[in-house]
Amino acid sequence: MTPSLPDVLVGNFLCMMDPGPPEQQGEFMAGKVAIVAILSLLAAQETERGVAARVAENIAIRAVLDEAAADYGLDATSLPSTEGLTFSVLDQVNAGLRKALIDLHEAIEARGDTTRHHEILYLYARMAELRRLDLPPLPGR
Amino acid sequence: MSLGERLEAYLTRTWGQPVRVADLSRIPGGASRETYRFAARVGGETRPLILRRDPPGSLIETDRNLEYLALESFHDKLPAPRPVAMDAEGAELERPFFVMERVEGGTAASPFTVLPYGEHARAVGESFFQILGTIAAADPAGLPLAQAAPAPTREDCWRVALDQWSDVIETDEQHPQPIVRAAIRALRRKPPPRATAVRVVHGDYRTGNFLHDGAGKILAILDWEMVHLGDPLEDLAWAIDPLWGHFDAANVAGMIPRADALAIWSRTSGLPVDEAALSWWSLFAAVKGQAIWTSAAKEYRDGGFKEPILAVSGWYTARRHDEILAAMLLRLEGLRALEGLS
Repeated sequence: MTPSLPDVLVGNFLCMMDPGPPEQQGEFMAGKVAIVAILSLLAAQETERGVAARVAENIAIRAVLDEAAADYGLDATSLPSTEGLTFSVLDQVNAGLRKALIDLHEAIEARGDTTRHHEILYLYARMAELRRLDLPPLPGR
Repeated sequence: MSLGERLEAYLTRTWGQPVRVADLSRIPGGASRETYRFAARVGGETRPLILRRDPPGSLIETDRNLEYLALESFHDKLPAPRPVAMDAEGAELERPFFVMERVEGGTAASPFTVLPYGEHARAVGESFFQILGTIAAADPAGLPLAQAAPAPTREDCWRVALDQWSDVIETDEQHPQPIVRAAIRALRRKPPPRATAVRVVHGDYRTGNFLHDGAGKILAILDWEMVHLGDPLEDLAWAIDPLWGHFDAANVAGMIPRADALAIWSRTSGLPVDEAALSWWSLFAAVKGQAIWTSAAKEYRDGGFKEPILAVSGWYTARRHDEILAAMLLRLEGLRALEGLS
């Protein structure tokens, strides 16, 4: 996914390093600090859960692709895989698997294969749940 | 030259008399425009104003001319700032901008807070959907906005909107997004009924995009940068999208129950709410949101990761909309949201 966790953490550093002109101090800077604080909070969640979420998503997508391979002429052996556990490597594999999943889903819809269509919709719900980020109940003003 | 000096030079030239700019200060938020408050001292008077200037990279590519004309169209019909000046080329400020009058004394809620309107949620909600109905009731033909905003046919409103935002995803996507792509296909497979009318669509009418006085009164509808003509249900669906719900499942927009919101809108606009059409526009709203967040992620990267608000949009809100889209796709098939989840 973009932006990646390293992108966000580097970005937090970069945006605070540049003090900006006088008109961007005060309220604007306070707002920027608040946003950086929220990003730090989300980054903590991604640090804790992000690798496991990517591994689980990649396994789940591959399972759907493997199951449908014979019926839809997929070469499952050509799909990317990795033993790596870094965000960048897992995301690279994830991109390949997601592209294959998009192609498969289009083919399934075109064929009217309702059972597999529904399985993929449940997979989407699971993918979204795995990637979920939570904000605390921030009080309104 | 500083921004303040550039602004002084522009206003002095435009108004034909010396202008001093004081208290120039950037306001947080506004990912698609840099927004500044300032005071213009001219002819012995002090005018409190707002400058909206295009940033080097923005969340969405928008037309400040349309935004300006929208304010011209509505500032005397509903709470909205009066526009003052615009330059699409940038002039002394180097980037396109416009200036509008400043509405004092209000606050805008963050969409990610809980109960931002407190005991006044009902009053704010009634006003919020009444104003949206007022926008939808206006005949575009008589408005300044009609000078520049193309009008789709009633049959084509959905197609124009969907083409625009699916193109954004196609262009700006940096990582494959199967969920939103499935939603786009679902929308194309089953288009909505033709629009009951072609009206002004604010484009980003939601909680957080208006000023309120903290006691139930809306002072100004803001952020018209995505204004266009189309099916008015587009705005209604966007306003009640779960992303803007303030984590309040019982109400829409963190304000009032859905049925009440729709009734107020319908009564004010004079237009019916076709639930089948609204269902289509609701799924569309989540697609549009995901397109905006996709652009935000790209702009964040292209801009060297220096605008943290773009990271929030491209990251947290994108994932919220993936959840919303996935749940909607299941509902469209008559499937229970939690089935199949382990």
